Amino acid sequence: MPLYRRLKSWINSYRGQLRLFLLPYLAGMFVLVALPGVMTAVTAFTDYNAIQPPTWVGLDNFQRMRTYSLVRLSLRNTLLFAITAVPLRLVGALVLALLLQRKRRLFGLYRAAVYLPAVIPEAAYALIWLWIFNPLYGPLNMVLGWLGLPAPAWLAEPGSAQAAIVIMSLFQIGEGFVVLLAGLQSIPRAIYEAAHVDGATRWQSFWRITLPLITPWLLLLTFRDLLMSVQNTYTPSFIMTYGGPYYATTYVPLLVYELAFDLLDYGLAAALLVVLYAFTGAVIMGILSVVGSWGEE
Amino acid sequence: MNKRTGKLKTTLHYLTGGLVTAVFLLPLYWAMTASLRQPGLAPPVTVEWWPTNAHWDNFTEVFRAVPMARYLKNSLIVVGTAVPLTLITASLAGFSMAQMPDKARRRLLAVSVAYLVVPAASIWMFRFQILQVLGLVDTLWALILPAFAASSPLFVLLFYWTFRRIPSELIEAGRLDGANAWAIWRRLALPLARPTTIAVTILAAVLYWNDFVSPVLYIYRPELYTAPIGLQILKQVDSVNWPLLMAAAVLLTLPVAVLLIILQRVFLNNLSLAETMERN
Repeated sequence: MPLYRRLKSWINSYRGQLRLFLLPYLAGMFVLVALPGVMTAVTAFTDYNAIQPPTWVGLDNFQRMRTYSLVRLSLRNTLLFAITAVPLRLVGALVLALLLQRKRRLFGLYRAAVYLPAVIPEAAYALIWLWIFNPLYGPLNMVLGWLGLPAPAWLAEPGSAQAAIVIMSLFQIGEGFVVLLAGLQSIPRAIYEAAHVDGATRWQSFWRITLPLITPWLLLLTFRDLLMSVQNTYTPSFIMTYGGPYYATTYVPLLVYELAFDLLDYGLAAALLVVLYAFTGAVIMGILSVVGSWGEE
Repeated sequence: MNKRTGKLKTTLHYLTGGLVTAVFLLPLYWAMTASLRQPGLAPPVTVEWWPTNAHWDNFTEVFRAVPMARYLKNSLIVVGTAVPLTLITASLAGFSMAQMPDKARRRLLAVSVAYLVVPAASIWMFRFQILQVLGLVDTLWALILPAFAASSPLFVLLFYWTFRRIPSELIEAGRLDGANAWAIWRRLALPLARPTTIAVTILAAVLYWNDFVSPVLYIYRPELYTAPIGLQILKQVDSVNWPLLMAAAVLLTLPVAVLLIILQRVFLNNLSLAETMERN
């Protein structure tokens, strides 16, 4: 059978058509995500400035990373952001989900308001927060002054700038909120009713029923938020502080951008990203071990 | 529990809920009031809840200060092209995955999850070079291209989980009637996946409308800037003109907010969507 006929019969078969449906997705993702991702991993072992061909340098970039103080600082900033923002975001999302889970009038709008910041263009939201944190005229310090509270310099000082980025991220918890709403809805009401009949208080049912049943959702969200928190700092730090003051908000993605596109030091940028890969891998291992242990129970 | 404390509790619940909502809307509210102040006027020295003489002209001034109309048009072109493309590619891939034999399906799921966790920053450098080879740097195609690949594995998974729930007898019946995969996808599967289609439409529209990183990386010609870049340009033009900056920020936020309010019933009550987010 000539080739084009075989091709034609393959395309006309159900199986063939199904494979064809996958082609744009798989081929596109390969070209746009897998290929650049792997090239980055390989580049970590080369000296490359995007103009001359790369030269193999072994572990040189990783050696340089250890002495390059900005790299260490960006890793520390990113880690600090993750360990402060992730637990706060999680608790915030859970409290809000508990508060707004009921089907009541107006509550649909309440939920939409909590979700809204998750879909606002980040460039616009970061700009809005830049105004809110304005130390002199910003509305936040106005209100703090009005309440007689101390007004920090926010983005002008290292410590308060880091806090400001975390505070802004606490408003963008819409996704976790929606996920936990669904988690709470998946708990059968009958369990609560039975507990109520047995004389359990609201507080007791929360600790003995809600929390244990929602723990898998919380764990998966923690892992997801950890992964997101190492990359989501890019736009806020780019727009609000550009890494300052004194590099206090120079997070890994911003430094990667600087190293690659301003300093054309692709090798070092790639090495930093390999560290991110390792972190991602560790988080995935965490997920798998947790999910795996559920299966054994 | 008697009736009175029950009523009190309900009122308290509404009040706390309202308070939380107010906190979440506060940044937007502040942006709105700032956008209505007259530019050049000395900033208020006390808390001002609504500006006297609301200065709506700031919204038209944004279009004079920078070519915002062109930026918005570029953004609309990107969204208008990328969203329909995404719906087609993501639903086709999701449909195919749902129909695959177990082994292939598990492999595809693993691949999709792997794509989901790739750190965004790690593809910046070489996606740029790949786009350069394809001759697409500095064209709007650089921004639209991911739509040919379903935009995000999340969207494929959303469709996959929806199509998995279609009873296989239904599809078998369609095949016995002589329908091919295209026909089953278009006439049988898609009409049953309307809530998912709406959810993916919103998520994809938001993804492309909000995209700030891709134009920063791949677009250099000012006439191709999208609206989020326009905001940055406006900030560079006059970084202390807060009324104008806030007007532009509100302008960009408004379409998303309106879309969410209109579709919140479908969107925030859709369990499958939440399930999907939980899984990635």
